[in-house]
Amino acid sequence: MLNIDSLKLQLSPEETAVLRGERGATLAKVMKTIVLYGEALGAERLVDIEGDGHFVISWSTPGIAAPIELLDQLVEAGLRTRFPFTLDPKPPLDFENLSLRPEQELVVERMFHAQAGYDRRMLQLGLRDPNAYTCNPFQPEVGNIPERGAILAWSESASVIYANSVLGARSNRNGAVIDLLSNILGKIPLTGLLTDQGRRATWLVELQAADLPSPQLLGAAIGKKILDGVAFIVGLDRLLGPGLSEDTRDYLHELGAAAATYGAVGLFHVENITPEALDFGRDLLAPDHATWTLTDQELQDMLGSFPVPGSDGDPKPQRCFIGCPHLSIRQLHWWSQQIRNALQARGQDRLAIDTFLCAAPQVLQKFKAGGEAFDQLTAAGVKLTPTCPEVLYEADVMTGETVITNSSKLRAYSTARFIPDEVLLDILVSGEIGGERRE
Amino acid sequence: MTRSFKGRALLAGALEGEALVSRVGFNTYASYSTSLHFPVERALCADRSNQQLFGKNLSEKILCLPKSIGSTSAGAVWLRVAMLGIAPKALLFSQDIDSLAAGGLAVAEVWSDHRIVAVDQLGDEFLETVQEGDRIEIREDGTVRVR
Repeated sequence: MLNIDSLKLQLSPEETAVLRGERGATLAKVMKTIVLYGEALGAERLVDIEGDGHFVISWSTPGIAAPIELLDQLVEAGLRTRFPFTLDPKPPLDFENLSLRPEQELVVERMFHAQAGYDRRMLQLGLRDPNAYTCNPFQPEVGNIPERGAILAWSESASVIYANSVLGARSNRNGAVIDLLSNILGKIPLTGLLTDQGRRATWLVELQAADLPSPQLLGAAIGKKILDGVAFIVGLDRLLGPGLSEDTRDYLHELGAAAATYGAVGLFHVENITPEALDFGRDLLAPDHATWTLTDQELQDMLGSFPVPGSDGDPKPQRCFIGCPHLSIRQLHWWSQQIRNALQARGQDRLAIDTFLCAAPQVLQKFKAGGEAFDQLTAAGVKLTPTCPEVLYEADVMTGETVITNSSKLRAYSTARFIPDEVLLDILVSGEIGGERRE
Repeated sequence: MTRSFKGRALLAGALEGEALVSRVGFNTYASYSTSLHFPVERALCADRSNQQLFGKNLSEKILCLPKSIGSTSAGAVWLRVAMLGIAPKALLFSQDIDSLAAGGLAVAEVWSDHRIVAVDQLGDEFLETVQEGDRIEIREDGTVRVR
């Protein structure tokens, strides 16, 4: 049992009162959970959470979601998060956009039969609005954009790393359920990436690439190498240009998602680009940091390490998912333009493969309202969806289908085959993996 | 020969059991992914990338590992396996516990009726010494005896 008198974690009188149950039994359980978490991580004290949340617990599936019984205890006690929160994408229940077979839809419906009740409880507990579901909450259309230095308790790994690295906010990689409970309490243990010391770089990554590499491969290579370290990347500003343009933000979002997937990276600094690197430069490097030179060969090795499912069978893919993590509106327009150009070059009207672009509901709404680009994509046979393709693999409905993606994250959590952007378009138009342009 | 190691008792308990050993990071969600959705009598490790544990019964064993790895989605897994009655008896970490395991075990401790005993900081030598099938005795103070 937790002995309040022998805690290493220093609690304020108010926090101790909560732990003793003076503000209700359920809030005491929430506090006890966070205290145990802080004790295990060696934190000295709790700190206040200072901004909106973003959590990974958007699906009602057991083992990922918080159990309904737990949510009901929180709701019945009248508890809500101190700040509103957004959630990862909804499960794939928008069947009109996913072109699933009836038997596949049945599996998904069964797996997410409790989703409506789950969504309702999320709203009761502080979900910002019924459409606040995306893994790219930083887009202006969505508007969950934390301020620099703000203490957060987020969980979606791709969002944590972007908030830390590109926005300069402060969050550890918290797990599912802890995210919700800490934001209800409004407090989180002060440790790791919340501290100045924890944000110092343990790795100097010297990028020596001839051209701007795929962020999907660069992030994966960094994650695989440094695991849960903090990277200070040099050489990327030469290829991206200084500062944080929209293009650079999108690039770093993809890089971070991959680094968080192939390792457990929660923060990277990019020389002359990211906010803390701009302010402190190489002083961010920890005295005992390691150094790694990352060349084109390492990136090729990373690509070569990805398995090629289905390579012995039919090379014709049935589906392509683009947008893991969710696309920005700039990226939607970029893909629209690229698809239009590729079709015109081959004299075709439609893509040869069922292609799905994934983005936040608010981003899709704005894109559709823009008219021409959306109409062209629709005419080309492209579907737009606010869901998460990864969930289809959780539901095991993709078995037997050949699926391709430009996302190294989706590749890691599925049997989808990773195809770099530069060859993906040719495959989408030709319908054949063997028919792509060779360099 | 009995070897003794001293770690930090995170969720203390005194018990004995049989060791299962992962010498690589234990991917929690990948390991339990096939045991979560529908009732099962035991949890068979589903992580194909873990050569030591794939296909083995994780339930009621003492799981020895360096630390856990994988998706932040895994935070609810320990609560789920505790509620289903298919959790290991104990987790013995050779390194500092990671944030995902720390959070997951804290949630399971408070929100289920089942304690998963946890000891960390047992050291590299512990993980080099312990073998699958060894009898392990855990004491309240975080002492672990392997025989």
